[in-house]
Amino acid sequence: MDEQTTLLEQIMAYDFALYDLQLFLDTHPSDANALRDYKMALEQSENLRRQYQAKYGPLTPRYLPNTTCWQWINDPWPWDPKGGMNNVVL
Amino acid sequence: MWFYEKKTQYPINIKKPDPRMAMNILTQYGGPNGELAASLRYLSQRFSMPTKETKAILNDIGTEELAHLEMIGTMVHQLMDKVPPKELEKLHVDTLYAVHGRAVYPSDSNGVPFTAAYIESMEDPIANLNENLAAEQKARATYDYLIRMADDPDVIDPLRFLREREVVHYQRFGEALRIVQEVMGKKKFY
Repeated sequence: MDEQTTLLEQIMAYDFALYDLQLFLDTHPSDANALRDYKMALEQSENLRRQYQAKYGPLTPRYLPNTTCWQWINDPWPWDPKGGMNNVVL
Repeated sequence: MWFYEKKTQYPINIKKPDPRMAMNILTQYGGPNGELAASLRYLSQRFSMPTKETKAILNDIGTEELAHLEMIGTMVHQLMDKVPPKELEKLHVDTLYAVHGRAVYPSDSNGVPFTAAYIESMEDPIANLNENLAAEQKARATYDYLIRMADDPDVIDPLRFLREREVVHYQRFGEALRIVQEVMGKKKFY
């Protein structure tokens, strides 16, 4: 697996953990263990996200590394096979 | 993947309940030209868009439509909130109350439930984008009707904002259509 995919899969794992904890915390808003886990995963996710976006471009449109081009639209989108446009038969 | 933000796209604070207007606005929640139909249409069509620009615009307008769905739901809720059932009967909004109470349910103003038959998603991007241009105009016309019926500035103001967004989306879909036609013009595709 290439480095980009590895990094993205780590972000996906932490983000899923965050979402699952979010649902748990919605119904257990003062659970100390869940709050601690959430904080830990949040720091990890933010840190990995920073690394990923600096190397491979935006995960959300609220990331603008430079003002020369709008990288948000760049292929591949999540539903594309790695090639993006090359795989679409017009 | 999506994240929810705890705010509406444009401020909504309706102080005066108006169940008739709630019933009229409801069609933009779950009616044929409503925000739910718009969002599902674009988010489904994006999978068959051929260029990065058109994938992005369908993805991002489809996402904005979800924020508009929330705005319409908020308006319907605030217009119906705490109105006594007897009052609803007097205003002839009692048939919706009989089915759903004062809840927000995806239907048109007549209570006809939402159906995916309102939308189309084809592999052909030209067909999709032309449908979307029409859809934005139909939604714009619906907002025109709603604005004409409304008299509370708290209601008119967000409706005007939503109407304006239909005009902007129409513009962007026109550009998307031009981009797709240019790309297809370079290839023999028949």
